Amino acid sequence: MPERSPTPASPSQPFGPGPTFSPLKGGDGTFQPLFGGAGTSLFGRRQRRPRGARLPVTVVTGFLGSGKTTLIRAFLQKPEGANTAIVVNEYGEIGIDDALLRASSDATVLLGNGCLCCEVRSDLQETLRALFIERGRGAVPSFERVVIETSGLADPGPVLQTFGTDRALAGEFHLTALVTVVDAVTGTGNLARMPEARKQVALADRIVLSKTDLADADRRDRLLADIAALSAAPVASAVDGDIAPAFLLDDPPIATRPIDRGGHAHTHGIDTFSLIFPEPLPWPAFQQTMALLAALRGPDLLRVKGLVALAGCQGPVVIHQVQHVAHPPVELVDWPDADRRSRLVFVTRNLPRAAVEQLFTAVGEIASLRSQ
Amino acid sequence: MADTAIWNFKQLAHHELDGFGGIGEGMSIQIAKDGRRILWLAHESAPKNFTAVDVSDPRAPKLVARRDLPQTHMRSNSLETVGDLMAVAYQTTQKGLQPAGFELFDISVPENPRSIAFFDCSGPTSRGVHQLWFADGEYIHMSSGAPDFTPTHPKDDQFYRIIDVKNPTKPVEVGRWWLPGTREGDSAPPPKRHPEGADTGFRPHNTNVYPERPDRAYLGYIDGGLVTLDIADKAHPKMIARWDYHPPYHGFTHTVVPMFSSGIYVVSDECVRPEGGDWPKLVWIVDGRAEDNPVPIATCPLPPLETYMRPQARYGAHNLWENIPKPNGWKSEDIVLATYFNGGLRAYDISNPYQPKEVGYFVPAPPARAPSGAIQINDVFVDERAIVYTVDRHVGGLYTLEMDF
Repeated sequence: MPERSPTPASPSQPFGPGPTFSPLKGGDGTFQPLFGGAGTSLFGRRQRRPRGARLPVTVVTGFLGSGKTTLIRAFLQKPEGANTAIVVNEYGEIGIDDALLRASSDATVLLGNGCLCCEVRSDLQETLRALFIERGRGAVPSFERVVIETSGLADPGPVLQTFGTDRALAGEFHLTALVTVVDAVTGTGNLARMPEARKQVALADRIVLSKTDLADADRRDRLLADIAALSAAPVASAVDGDIAPAFLLDDPPIATRPIDRGGHAHTHGIDTFSLIFPEPLPWPAFQQTMALLAALRGPDLLRVKGLVALAGCQGPVVIHQVQHVAHPPVELVDWPDADRRSRLVFVTRNLPRAAVEQLFTAVGEIASLRSQ
Repeated sequence: MADTAIWNFKQLAHHELDGFGGIGEGMSIQIAKDGRRILWLAHESAPKNFTAVDVSDPRAPKLVARRDLPQTHMRSNSLETVGDLMAVAYQTTQKGLQPAGFELFDISVPENPRSIAFFDCSGPTSRGVHQLWFADGEYIHMSSGAPDFTPTHPKDDQFYRIIDVKNPTKPVEVGRWWLPGTREGDSAPPPKRHPEGADTGFRPHNTNVYPERPDRAYLGYIDGGLVTLDIADKAHPKMIARWDYHPPYHGFTHTVVPMFSSGIYVVSDECVRPEGGDWPKLVWIVDGRAEDNPVPIATCPLPPLETYMRPQARYGAHNLWENIPKPNGWKSEDIVLATYFNGGLRAYDISNPYQPKEVGYFVPAPPARAPSGAIQINDVFVDERAIVYTVDRHVGGLYTLEMDF
């Protein structure tokens, strides 16, 4: 059994006789961090919460006219909405009038209460990076969170991926939640006819039913059933955009209850299921399994989120993958609740639970077989 | 920047210390026998000496005691406590004045600090003690002048002294070290001065010693840079390494904090000029795994000069949370907390020491009577409850915070 190589400085011999140029791989094939105190893991400093020290981002999506703007405007009026940066495609959509625009700088409009509004010019990444730099320079108020309103026809996938891939963004921003707004009146029709609308619901962490005062109970129940066929995300109602701020801002719970729709819940091929792993997984095995899934079926691996116990990690590791893009994992200081089993929620297209589970099982078996 | 800028900290309280809110770099917590948590603060300048604040409830700090300096031609600026013993530094405005040295107090009754000894460092060539470190209850490590030390240059009038206080009524020096060439009579030539306007002197500032390596002293030697000493034989300290990065940098290396599990040194400069006059004054991350060859690998990132520069105010590094090895001090080798005057208190994650990441900041609004119209956050202390205490240099007093990163 290969011995773990000694690190250059150990508590028993700090600043030892000299650096050792030993390989950094541990016995299980993982790379050990070169530096790092007691609080550091394979994935950087252990965090108290998934966002760590990063700026939290809520992405609000929903079909044309669903009420995204109303929701955001109502949120901004509340005390919890102070110090928020809103990112929109067009000032006109959110109702920034000409007078305010004339008074602002080119890229951002101050809204009062520490809030500001920013219009996407070239692309979202560019806009967010510039916003972050402006905040650091003190050129805009020191906002505490970002709310992004996507366009009505947007596939939220690329927006979610942006926070995983872009080195500048993934280090500074944390995608807290994708909130999808669904119009109680037209929602059922939209979901039936528009793939974009379905994707917006399938990927959602939380769903807001808007204009519920305009839809009767039957229509509403039908819509709830249509939504449930696509997503297990919690649903809340809003009238005139009024909803508890926590529904927009809080970290969604990570797969606390297994989702199992017994195989008859597919809609247009979209499925949501969860996997629970009773034992800690070796990181290389987990990583390879996800990589294989992404390589073979990336476009259909719509979203994977969960908390995974990895061998050798003190706390659970937050996993988030959107198609082939894996967000940098974050190790938490501790589990959020008493359940310390790994759990992953999958949102897939034409990729059933059984196939994914079998792959994990097979890899697990292979990884655990060692030559004696 | 008129409002408080705060990120990943929660402010608990702000106490202006009843009109005398100018605090230097002496901050130390005592847990009194009755269980109260007392924060002792050394004032930056006359007329006040020190102030004691009950911070048992960090949301409601309460003044408990305060003392005036015996003379206005002096300042305390630095103090430490161990148990019920407090050491307070005294430095005079000019050489030859008194009292210059340090005073030991019995603070078992915090309302009534009782003087038990005075260690005299005065003399025609001495201004007394600028800074002292006291954590193990046995030795004070300090930057001080002495009557028997004549510097080769007037600015180099302080050096490293180790004082045995195991019998607190009779402190006695057991060792000393100075940069060769800075004392009259040295065979080594005097060090080459920094250019005009950047000559702040070859003297120690902070002199830190930790139980993980009691045979090592880590000195910020102002214009001398970083100096590490072998003090296994306290009577004969020996230099192990020196990292001197001035010029092209301005000088004034202030504090060296060793992170023992990783071999990293965190090194702060002190900004001493207003209006960006000595920009940049930084917090450096230095790879110290090869003791004889410290290698700088990064600096902690900062907002640009324009953001916080002000005409009569400083913006740049100064003090660090030093992981003071006492039971009531917080310890972290992944997080750096640093004070930057008008740049406030800033926190960094150095778990990847090549890329320190800012994880939080607290830049209070300028206090009402700030002489420069700016906040000048001067020092920071973190207790074992992870409560953060930070102070303004001139009038703002004490801010208490929780970390949220």
